[in-house]
Amino acid sequence: MANYVEMWKDLGMDLETHDALCQVLPTAFGDVYLSQENRPESMDFWDMVVADIHGIRPAELIEAQKNGQKVFGTFCIYVPDEIVIAANGIVTGLCGGSQFWVSGGEKVLPKSTCPLIKASVGARLDRTCPFFRIADMYVGETTCDGKKKAWEILGRDVPMHIMDIPQMKREKDIRKWAEEITDFAAVVEVFTGNEIEPEKLKEAIHIVNEKRKALARVFEARKAKNIPISGKDALLMMQIAFFDDPVRCAQMTNRLADELEQRIQDGASVFPAGTKRIMVTGTPMAIPNWKLHHIIETSGAAVVCEETCTGTRYFERLVDESRETLEEQYQALAERYMGINCACFTPNTGRIEDILRLAKEYNVDGVIDVNLKFCCLYDTEGYTVEAALKEAGIPVLGIETDYDDADAEQLRTRIEAFVEMLG
Amino acid sequence: MADSKEKMYYYILFDNYTQGMALQGYLREAKIPSRISPAPRCIQGELGCGMSILFQPEDLERVEACIAQHQAEYHDIVLLENQINPRRNRFC
Repeated sequence: MANYVEMWKDLGMDLETHDALCQVLPTAFGDVYLSQENRPESMDFWDMVVADIHGIRPAELIEAQKNGQKVFGTFCIYVPDEIVIAANGIVTGLCGGSQFWVSGGEKVLPKSTCPLIKASVGARLDRTCPFFRIADMYVGETTCDGKKKAWEILGRDVPMHIMDIPQMKREKDIRKWAEEITDFAAVVEVFTGNEIEPEKLKEAIHIVNEKRKALARVFEARKAKNIPISGKDALLMMQIAFFDDPVRCAQMTNRLADELEQRIQDGASVFPAGTKRIMVTGTPMAIPNWKLHHIIETSGAAVVCEETCTGTRYFERLVDESRETLEEQYQALAERYMGINCACFTPNTGRIEDILRLAKEYNVDGVIDVNLKFCCLYDTEGYTVEAALKEAGIPVLGIETDYDDADAEQLRTRIEAFVEMLG
Repeated sequence: MADSKEKMYYYILFDNYTQGMALQGYLREAKIPSRISPAPRCIQGELGCGMSILFQPEDLERVEACIAQHQAEYHDIVLLENQINPRRNRFC
């Protein structure tokens, strides 16, 4: 990625520390992705994106900034991309998924903070990720205590807007989220200098819906008996979806879905017949966190679905495109986004219903409920998740882990035993 | 792609990803097995592009013929001992 050195310098990055990450990426990607047989050819696009992950897209964003566009960095799937797109802004995901960024976060956060938050803060403060340098404004939200405090630290370093997410899902909470979206739209209008008009928002809603439909097509293909794509590849597609241009994302994802549908017809699979089908539930896996999927898929099983923010929660259900006024559109956005079932809500029975439904739809043999270390919300909800799955007769394994390599063999032993138990 | 340590692989290096994606398209058309890979640091040097194309030694002649046929642009082709080990447990 040497030809991006000048760009990284201009962004004020710490090149020496950044280089440590660049050195490991080719090896890790090779071990995880290129060790697979019979991958879909369409994964070429995502392989190329990863090969220059800190080069190609950041260069596009900088070019867009030169043309007057603003880049908004987000950390949560409750923040509606549609608002930013309607104001001719660009959204980029900022969740940190690398262990290289964690120590930077620990300089200012308690060690007992989840690795995703530590990595996100570390990537910004240590100046080791171009996306964190490029974003003109960060958009936080109040989905957990760790994030709320992290925003106060990041807010000293970069313009920040925080959306106050409700804790419950009553009618008045949905109305409150519509108000938060309205306030966010006003902030985005001022920051971009562009007015959000109903026609522009309608178009933005359509763009994001098309992206959701494309991602859903790939997941639909994963329901097939002969699994046409590995969980690792599907995860990579989802992770990149947070960074890519939404129109190109839909186009490339639809191309992948076309190939997967053909592979189903041809009986082509990445796995031998009879490979045990696993659904992963729990906390998000931000790029380049491929650890658990890789361990599962090198332990005799296949991941066929993720009930996570980097899985079904990101694309299920569309925003109603028929609303005409801004007020109606904000309400439609609130209705769709408040339908996401995150552990930050109480009660959160919708998530249990989702998990049981998805287990059936994807015909899973077992569920691995994974929580990032120190994520109190998902860890606590794991009790309810596991109880519901056991009651439904679906084998479940609860795992707590982080981005570190140290527990990989221990996890492999547990997962191999779980897969063996599935028969 | 196999993971035995003795196995060797060729990496095609590029000056930019446009060259790389063009050649990968030609290799796909010719049905020559290949994958896009981040260029291993030990061979990337100061080269301008992080993307490379990985293929097996037995396909070298076909790859060279494909490059010649399309006059495809590339920087270098490098033979390298297998870098892939799915049991290494080294993540990013």
